[in-house]
Amino acid sequence: MSSKPKSRWASTAEDAEFEARQKKEKEERRRKKAQKLEEEEKKKAMLAAAAAAKASETAETNDDNDNDAASSSSRPSKRRKLTPEPPNNSSSPAASLLRFDVGSWKPSRSVDNYDKLNDIEEGTYGWVARATELASGRVVALKRLKLEAGDPNGLPVTGLREIQILKNCRHRNVVAMEEVVVGNDTSKPDNSIFLVLEFVEHDLKSILEDMPEPFLSSEVKRLLLQLTSGVAYLHQNYILHRDLKTSNLLLSNRGLLKIADFGMARYVGDPRPKLTQLVVTLWYRAPELLLGTRSYDAAVDMWSVGCIMGELITREPLLQGSNEVDQISKVFELCGVPTEDSWPGFRRLPNARSLRLPKQSPLASGSVIRARFPNLTAAGASLLNSLLSLDPDKRPTAKEMLEHEYFRQDPKPKPESLFPTFPSKAGQERRRRHEPDAPVRGQAVALGDVDFSGIFQGRDKEERGAGFSLRMV
Amino acid sequence: MSLLANPLATPSQLYRRASSLTLPRDLDEAVLVATQCLTQAAGRLLQLPQSATAQANVLLARYWLTESPMAHEFSDVSAATLYLVSKLGPLPRSPRDVSNVYAYLSSANSALFPTGELPKDDPRAYYQTEADYYAFQQRMLGLEARILQSLSFDTHVSLPHPLAITYLQTLDFLSQSRTTVSLRTIQYLNTALLSPQMLYVTHQPNALATAAIYNAARDLGAKMPEHEWWEVFDVDREELGFLVVAMRSVEGWMQKLRDDFPSFGSKMLKRSMVEDELHRRGLHVGNGDNAPRDEEAEVMRMMDSR
Repeated sequence: MSSKPKSRWASTAEDAEFEARQKKEKEERRRKKAQKLEEEEKKKAMLAAAAAAKASETAETNDDNDNDAASSSSRPSKRRKLTPEPPNNSSSPAASLLRFDVGSWKPSRSVDNYDKLNDIEEGTYGWVARATELASGRVVALKRLKLEAGDPNGLPVTGLREIQILKNCRHRNVVAMEEVVVGNDTSKPDNSIFLVLEFVEHDLKSILEDMPEPFLSSEVKRLLLQLTSGVAYLHQNYILHRDLKTSNLLLSNRGLLKIADFGMARYVGDPRPKLTQLVVTLWYRAPELLLGTRSYDAAVDMWSVGCIMGELITREPLLQGSNEVDQISKVFELCGVPTEDSWPGFRRLPNARSLRLPKQSPLASGSVIRARFPNLTAAGASLLNSLLSLDPDKRPTAKEMLEHEYFRQDPKPKPESLFPTFPSKAGQERRRRHEPDAPVRGQAVALGDVDFSGIFQGRDKEERGAGFSLRMV
Repeated sequence: MSLLANPLATPSQLYRRASSLTLPRDLDEAVLVATQCLTQAAGRLLQLPQSATAQANVLLARYWLTESPMAHEFSDVSAATLYLVSKLGPLPRSPRDVSNVYAYLSSANSALFPTGELPKDDPRAYYQTEADYYAFQQRMLGLEARILQSLSFDTHVSLPHPLAITYLQTLDFLSQSRTTVSLRTIQYLNTALLSPQMLYVTHQPNALATAAIYNAARDLGAKMPEHEWWEVFDVDREELGFLVVAMRSVEGWMQKLRDDFPSFGSKMLKRSMVEDELHRRGLHVGNGDNAPRDEEAEVMRMMDSR
């Protein structure tokens, strides 16, 4: 190898000269500046000295005046004001310290403090009864946790989470828990455990089933607002409900909606726990859950809110799939088939790899929500459309939803006090229409190899074939 | 708000515990310290974060305020609190794992109780038969339900550790190296978990955090603000002073316990060992089961003497 060629950037003689010149100039400038500064300093000092002399003179005269004045009146002399305040003066007012009003702990009371009135319902996760507290006569709802004798994991974690979450929640749209009481057999591990909840007369599902006319749109708005502010509270406190549906929403005789049944709920904090996709009753389950995602967030609850909104308007559950595969095809029928544009990255979800989707123009396979709800205003339709976005990131958060145009438009949300009342069903025998239950742990269903390419067959023909088509926009 | 505060022991609870101790005070303290240490060791082996293990320590202290430590085997209570906390948190552990860890810790192989010589790894020492496991699991799950009932199912524990870091940030780490001063603060907080004074059930996290920072600053010679800076963190001088002394005294306490009860540090503390100690002292106090009966006899005697 020959000697290294000289770099283009290496300094040459000219460079050195140039640098030296620059340095010199700089020094010159600095010297001038320093000189100027010095002069100014001198001037200032002189002025200050003059001022001081003058001040002392006036001070002296002032002093004399003060002394004269002090003798005639009780005015304190000015000089006293100049001395610093004594340091112990500042600490004398006691600082007001923040004190939390917290309780203590004591053993749970016995269920004998309550008298059962009648059963309300027997659900997947427990049994609920109406009862009165003997001491006060208050009516409450008692919910018994379902315990399995000999469960190798002890008390069910879902039940413990429900207790933990309800204990921490205080919001007018979330059902309140008063205490936890236990059966009398305290030595046994499978001693029964009851949650004492506030009693609310109705659940939204049975009202919807029995009402002759659907809710007015002002009523729908009020119900949705209450639901959303409850959900916003939960999400703000890092709680995912994971089983929002009309049968878990309670409505009091005063039109107050309360979110209930936290058997599926959990805290999602830091570190982010591993979440199961086996949550949310099938009809209200978000597409990302159906496609088997393991990292979902508050948007799954917002999908359920969208389903509930549709149900409040039509009185019918929006998407009644008979199983996971049927459910997702119903979702795609309503909301359109996902594409890489409408839902970036959905192909990477576990159950999406084997999906065969119809290859159609996005126009023909878009959302038909607008057409399904012809009576909804444009704002209402845009809200429902955004809640039922396939892409979870496109759904609004509960907080954003509260600000939506839809709630500000006429008709305005009806005040709760003006809500119609309904005959209370709690306690009466009533027929229940079939509805799938909340999922049970450990029965995950892989969608497998499913062919959805047929679900839109004929749809494109409808739109293009006839001379005209009635479109409700 | 509730995320920052803890339920605290009431004065009557503390009084009742102090007045109806089933054990002499020093033994009671020794049992508490040994069990809290055991929980810490098990938490490490179960690879739980300190945030979970510390919660288990606090739950155990709360539980023992309502029930005598002699009512159940200490290690079972420790296991049950740890299992319960892990189950409710983001990192659940199976009963099998918990069982294995406690079997190991109680074996002769246990690294928790150094005998001076290097333990030879002998899996037979901590092998659990199916029957052993079943019995352990039954005891642990029974205690889980019992602990929950005693605490009225309130498992909420907020720890001072994150608060302490936030406070340090506010104080600009007292112009010390961030890691040094943070580490020392956290060390004080973790040591306080073991304190027989049960600091975590009598003081709020903000007070614990402030006292730990004060101690760390003193240790490192850091300059603290000249005013009553603890009032910014809602702690008054009295409380701070008490906690500062209490936190500093844990080390001496541990040393004293080690000297007083040399046998307690050699293997896992069992109820039988405590009973032996009682016999040696010529005291006979029954275990927690007949403690209520004793209480009743006491009342009867008082009535008679009137």
